[in-house]
Amino acid sequence: MTESNYDEIMRLLCDRLSSLTNSEVTITADTNLISELSIDSIKLLNLIMEIEDTFDISIPINALADVQTVHELASLISKIKSTH
Amino acid sequence: MSSTITKLNAPLTQAFDFQPSSESHTTPTPTRNSLAQQVAGFETLTNALEYAAQGLTGYNFYNAKGNLQSVLPYSLLRKNAREIAQRLSGFNLARGSRVAIIADTSPEFIELFFACRYAGLVPFAMPVPVNLGSHGIYVQQLKGMLESSHASLAFANIDYINFLEEAAEKTTQQLKWVGTPVQLRELPAKEVTLQSNSPEEVAYLQFTSGSTRMPRGVVITEHALMCNLQGIVRNGLEIRPGDRSASWLPFYHDMGLVGLVLAPMVTQLSVDYLATRDFAIRPLQWLRLISRNRCTVAFSQPFGLKLCTMRVRESDLKDLDLSCWRAAGIGAEMIRPDTLRNFAEKFSSAGFNGSAFLPCYGLAESTLAVTFSKIGNGFRSIQIDSKTLIDKRKAVKLQADGRKFNEFVNCGRPLPEHTVKIVDENGQQLEERMVGSVLVQGASIMTGYYNNPEETHKALKPGNWLDTGDIGFLYEGDLYITGRKTDVIIVNGRNIRAQDIEELAEQQPEVRSREASAFGVNDADGTTTIVLVIECRLTSLTERHSLIKRLQQLVYMAFGVNCIVELVPPHTLPRTSSGKLSRFAARQGYIQRTNLDDQLSVVESGDR
Repeated sequence: MTESNYDEIMRLLCDRLSSLTNSEVTITADTNLISELSIDSIKLLNLIMEIEDTFDISIPINALADVQTVHELASLISKIKSTH
Repeated sequence: MSSTITKLNAPLTQAFDFQPSSESHTTPTPTRNSLAQQVAGFETLTNALEYAAQGLTGYNFYNAKGNLQSVLPYSLLRKNAREIAQRLSGFNLARGSRVAIIADTSPEFIELFFACRYAGLVPFAMPVPVNLGSHGIYVQQLKGMLESSHASLAFANIDYINFLEEAAEKTTQQLKWVGTPVQLRELPAKEVTLQSNSPEEVAYLQFTSGSTRMPRGVVITEHALMCNLQGIVRNGLEIRPGDRSASWLPFYHDMGLVGLVLAPMVTQLSVDYLATRDFAIRPLQWLRLISRNRCTVAFSQPFGLKLCTMRVRESDLKDLDLSCWRAAGIGAEMIRPDTLRNFAEKFSSAGFNGSAFLPCYGLAESTLAVTFSKIGNGFRSIQIDSKTLIDKRKAVKLQADGRKFNEFVNCGRPLPEHTVKIVDENGQQLEERMVGSVLVQGASIMTGYYNNPEETHKALKPGNWLDTGDIGFLYEGDLYITGRKTDVIIVNGRNIRAQDIEELAEQQPEVRSREASAFGVNDADGTTTIVLVIECRLTSLTERHSLIKRLQQLVYMAFGVNCIVELVPPHTLPRTSSGKLSRFAARQGYIQRTNLDDQLSVVESGDR
């Protein structure tokens, strides 16, 4: 995976997350999706759908079990995209 | 997914000329069969498969984009399952030994499930992880099931094998082998003659709760399974030639496994599967499958219908033709009339006919189904006077406008050779219209919970009456469910349904459905206090405080009682494998959090 790839994904994620959650929290790589952004199941489904459509990838359900922060999600997408 | 490619490229053992089910196909199995339809009436699962394998029909698996990914005709399933059974025989396990399988929506799961039956082993399905960051909890769940079942073997596809291996390392259970279906194919097969099964043998276990501390495996015999399947397909669905199913229900759930894998097989129907995850992200794909393949039978929990109503775009409706859908089965959780009305309203322009709604009631402890409403009639509901319901525990139809009422959906009548009765706290049968515990008797009832006499004793009453744990009433012979047993909180002699309190909470914009749990706790002198636990995403202290205050006020206004409101982070409330909230477990959690441990023994009566 390239740096620019990861940075681009990170930027897009932060953008989507802030409009999805409407929260005052400043979103950084370390922001916790569950405890800080309170991503519920419906929001998560919307987010995954947008990610999959934007990057033309499929995120396996098993991988999400290890995702808690924005950084972990960005890395996952980046990894899937580079092996795609 | 990359794992599928790995599987396709994996070396195949030549000795048995194994044909991989994951091969890409361009056409699904047909709806019309070359074989005369036999609508259930088989002695065992493998007998039913031997018959179905003579025809052209079978299972079809679609990917997230709705493209056909793999096809497993019953003929190929039979062949593969028998070959895998030979390899399973190589482990030299005693007949009836348990085999754990993580049940993603894949041909491999179904092949292993039937292979176990051919080899005389007892399979059971374990869930896949669904929540963000759930790794740790999920491994604990798997470990609990491996131990509770005393499993000898455990399987997972390559996507989930690391979780399974982790659970296996932590468990005290002596597993003989843990691996993937591909790894199993590398083991030598044993030349044995596969023995036929008897109806008295255990067919499978079904775990009902995702609880990590006390998972309970329901024991279902071949006989119970065959009785229930026959009732479902003959009386519930009136299956006939030309029928076809579509399903997104998880294979580890009783409705998904019994209702949409086994029931189609014992009637030789073709089924089109979408993975649960793919449905949840794009519910439209399920409706597209129904429309495109002219499916006639498709079940969902009310929550699934809600997802469709909420997430399918108006612009997508014009490409759908749902007029073929004659049995839209609804079950597995309390059915609220509005969920069905909203769905029908949204999809009527796409040809959906409300008469297809088929509410039913059942539970894994009775294999799957207990009652079905009359097929083709749509859903019926009844408006019951709230005050009489609470004060007298009696269902009286609403007499005058303006009075408060509760609306309940008609779940229909028991399957043939099954009886439903309503009893009071002392087990005395109640007359029609009186509200009480729902008990079921009949051939579909479980043998018990595996290796758990204590829980079995609580559920199976004398005369082999199963206490369902649900509360309801009979009205003109039809069953209506009003809540779960843990749902009734008695405060100052008044019965208050926990569901009503939760509904009140769910009407608040900050609270989502299925994220509120209400129950009662007793203090030292026996006074009951209502506790309302809410999974809350609010971060601002002012907003949290305002929500708590508002809820306390609303509960007081509606029921005249004070309550404690606790806000907890998302995913705190315990859920069952089907996603239902467990009030009993929620209360245990609350009691532990607040150090009220010694109160556990004095909770109000009627609890399990």
